[in-house]
Amino acid sequence: MEREPSLLENNVSPGHPLAELATLVGGLVLVGLGLLLAVWLLVEATLRWLPASLEQRVFGGAAAAVLPVEGGDELDVALGELLARLTRHGPVRGYALTIGVVEAGGPNAFALPGGRLLVTRPLLAQAASENELAFVLAHELGHVEARDPLRGLGRGVLVALALSALGASDGAAVAGSAATLGERAFSREQERAADRFALARVAAEYGHVAGASDFLRRLPDAGPASAAERATGWLATHPRSDRRVAELEALAAAAGYAAEGALTPLPPELRSD
Amino acid sequence: MGALLELGIPLFLLALGYLAGSIAEQNHYKSIRVRELRHRRIPTTNLRRPPPHWQVAEAAMVAGSTVVSVDYFKRFLAQLRNFFGGRVRAYESLLDRARREALLRMKSEATERGFDAVINVRIETSNISSPFGRNGRGTAGIEVLAFGTALKLAR
Repeated sequence: MEREPSLLENNVSPGHPLAELATLVGGLVLVGLGLLLAVWLLVEATLRWLPASLEQRVFGGAAAAVLPVEGGDELDVALGELLARLTRHGPVRGYALTIGVVEAGGPNAFALPGGRLLVTRPLLAQAASENELAFVLAHELGHVEARDPLRGLGRGVLVALALSALGASDGAAVAGSAATLGERAFSREQERAADRFALARVAAEYGHVAGASDFLRRLPDAGPASAAERATGWLATHPRSDRRVAELEALAAAAGYAAEGALTPLPPELRSD
Repeated sequence: MGALLELGIPLFLLALGYLAGSIAEQNHYKSIRVRELRHRRIPTTNLRRPPPHWQVAEAAMVAGSTVVSVDYFKRFLAQLRNFFGGRVRAYESLLDRARREALLRMKSEATERGFDAVINVRIETSNISSPFGRNGRGTAGIEVLAFGTALKLAR
């Protein structure tokens, strides 16, 4: 009755677990990027057919006013005037732009769908010259001109929708991370384009680009990048500020914008002191 | 830095789960093979009745059971596999080990109690914790139970 135990171990499929991991993760990254590509195509096609006026009607709400913001306080009016000067050098897609100040947060500025611009109080407080503020506003104008706010909203909603359809598994999380990181690559390119737009506007308005990159130079990531920071640049929504400054300088030199010039002081309404 | 941590912690857990899990698995398989050889003298069958020429002196039930759960790495791999479908290799080896271990424990009980054979062997599994608890991220744990009728033969 003695039997050797079966040496045929055929209950486990052949293959190395790490190879399986690599295949599965690779597949899911492709799924995520494919999803992002589909979303990208859908959003770009929609933007083509969705006029700025409709976008403004949907998102503008009460912000249908022409510049400067009617009924706004002195600050809003002064900001609106600066914005109006920046928009005279070329149309911004027929948006009736509005601008407002938010009290909270760090020094920052935003462009919302429907042509609404927001700057934070700390941004105004730290601005040393009108040129610096103008560059930030023109950067946001660049986003508006490119319709990035609506684009970002559309992508965000569609990617989230697609991911929720995939369910809450680790697989969906891997695909989602791939889509998110791909989206950030788009985002960094949009920031560069907005910087280029802004530099051209500032040069047209003041005749030089002195002071334009002062805001970027004040950001915490304006110093030289550490190895860890360089290695994780692909995770960020914005390129590093030191790179943006360097790219702006290179662009100014290539386009022949004067780097030196007299800085325009901030109008009294925008000064915080 | 935050992004690095966000990515780093799961990667660290995956590497840890993989290393600890594969070392444990290798050691377990080594031990299983040794004990399977040691227990080769006790016949086990799933026949319900003993062969007619056996003179049965004594019979008793013997059982062996194991409870297994998945490690972080295996669960991650299985979840990714869930997405595409196919053989869940990560769980195959786990269940293979559990089944063989349960059989070995049953045989070891039979040997220690002085039995000569085990017939009518059955293997059953039952979920002891739901993988659907805690938003589908609960721990999958199952018990593998092997039991049979141990026989002592008259000399």
